[in-house]
Amino acid sequence: MSTPTIGLETTGLTKSFGGVRAVDGASVQFHHGKVNALIGPNGSGKTTFFNCVTGMIKPDAGQVAYAGRDITGRSPDKIARAGIGRSFQLCRVFPRMTVLDNVLAAKRPSRSGLLRSAHQKADVEKAREWLTRVGIEHLERSEARDISYGQQKLLELAGVLMADPETIMLDEPAGGVNPALIDRIADLVRSLNAEGRTFIVVEHNMDLVMSLSDHVVVFDRGRPICEGPPSVVKEDARVLEAYLGI
Amino acid sequence: MLSVSNGLKLVGLVALAALLLSFPSLAPNPFLLSVGVVIMSYAVLATAWNFVGGFTGYISLGHAAYSGLGGYATGLLIVKADVNPWLALLAGSLLVGLIAVPVGIASLRVRGASFVIVSISLVLILLLVFQSWGSFTGGSNGLRIPRPFGEDVLRPEQHERFFLLHVALLAVMLLAWWLIDRSHFGIGLKAIREDEDKAQALGVPTVTYKLVAFVLSAFFTAAGGGLYALWFGFLDPVFQFSILVGSYMVLMSLLGGIRSLLGPLLGAVIVGYAVEYFKAAYGDSQFHLVAMGLLLGVVVLFMPDGIIPALTSLVKRFRPEASSIREVTQAELVEQRRAGQAGGPPADRAAHPVAPVSEGGHR
Repeated sequence: MSTPTIGLETTGLTKSFGGVRAVDGASVQFHHGKVNALIGPNGSGKTTFFNCVTGMIKPDAGQVAYAGRDITGRSPDKIARAGIGRSFQLCRVFPRMTVLDNVLAAKRPSRSGLLRSAHQKADVEKAREWLTRVGIEHLERSEARDISYGQQKLLELAGVLMADPETIMLDEPAGGVNPALIDRIADLVRSLNAEGRTFIVVEHNMDLVMSLSDHVVVFDRGRPICEGPPSVVKEDARVLEAYLGI
Repeated sequence: MLSVSNGLKLVGLVALAALLLSFPSLAPNPFLLSVGVVIMSYAVLATAWNFVGGFTGYISLGHAAYSGLGGYATGLLIVKADVNPWLALLAGSLLVGLIAVPVGIASLRVRGASFVIVSISLVLILLLVFQSWGSFTGGSNGLRIPRPFGEDVLRPEQHERFFLLHVALLAVMLLAWWLIDRSHFGIGLKAIREDEDKAQALGVPTVTYKLVAFVLSAFFTAAGGGLYALWFGFLDPVFQFSILVGSYMVLMSLLGGIRSLLGPLLGAVIVGYAVEYFKAAYGDSQFHLVAMGLLLGVVVLFMPDGIIPALTSLVKRFRPEASSIREVTQAELVEQRRAGQAGGPPADRAAHPVAPVSEGGHR
């Protein structure tokens, strides 16, 4: 299988809300098979960019391409089916469903399997495997609303993985969780990346970004101002200016 | 443990079926039997509503549009086209299902309060159309529908047959609901109810799923409306396309529990009996409306999940736990977890040994 170096790519992506250009002609390339980070000050358009890419918001202009195919303006479920999974900034799970069903909801049944029981042995085993992988398999019967926020973050990740995406976009995976859990999430990202999954991570925790990522894209005012390996980006004058206003 | 609770459920279902099937012979007089038919009709409509309300969480206050259309479609096919009544019932329901496709495509684009308002507007439009188009629908004079059974079948016998027909229709719907509830399709629908954007981001084709549930709900609601029309024999737009009928479906389902198979049925029995009681006791006063309003308030405030979930959690509280915390020491728990980990799927665990988190983070 020949893997293209560039997986996800946007060209001139633009989205305005009223008079505010949240994303302003952003052309970004993410490296396939790597951990990519997307950083930038608050309000720099990272989440809007994320939402445009995953189809939650329709961009006003520009293109999104994935693995050479144009996916601009497709519905989120089609984009998910093209192989891009995502987590949400404030983690989102299905509160009144059990932990196990939360993961099973990501399973994509064949047309003929739609009315078959959702608890097929193979699917349940696969779901348990992912729950074990993130470390919350002992909670499978609990309702998702009854587990802690950190556990919900892990559950969200297990759900995303159940769909078996090639590329995983994480919106602030370390937001609002304790340091021990941040380490666990970082370990998961590393091991999943080693198995061939591409990551695109929006994150404010700079230590995490610098230790985790292979490629960093810095956003300011709705467009990338700098990109490269963490060591280079860290020293870039434009980045310092954007963050510190120097 | 699981098989015991499944066994209990089965016994419960058999008891319920026996109770329903024996009601016609137990009912002391034809009037109560007719009340039974009305209540079963409510149960059919509420359960039909629940295909969209319970699964997807889209609260339609305008489902009277589909019961009314089902009634009129069935009646008009019989009166104007001389179709066999049972064939008319089926054809009418299918026709309404077909009409629900464009309505669903248009209205399911909006969520929450907007969807509620769109659903109401359809009822109001249909009320005006069916009232004004007198030459075809009979207008405000109503539409008389001949009885499907011959003249020799007397009133009580009619009630009994229609009661059983409603039970049969209800059974079909409960079976369909149960099948969907346990399926992949059902998990997708419930995911939409819980968080639609999240479901879509996971790859659930939400637009199609919602539409299928909506059309199925409209079809069953129309069948309920059509069966009622055959029994009652007379349709008036004011009663068919009434916000009140749609509100009853919602109230009954919420009261019983929209996430439960039998919730709408239970709600229909309680609300239906109460409505008939208030009507009989206080005549044509609007007191039953006040009572229903109060009931809805009480349900939403104190039992937002409905009676069945409230009772289930009460029962669970008194049931002995399989392993109480008091019976297991900390050391034993650690031991158990260790043993569990060694015995789990080996490939992943060996490669990435991660201990389970019991308290992963804070809010």
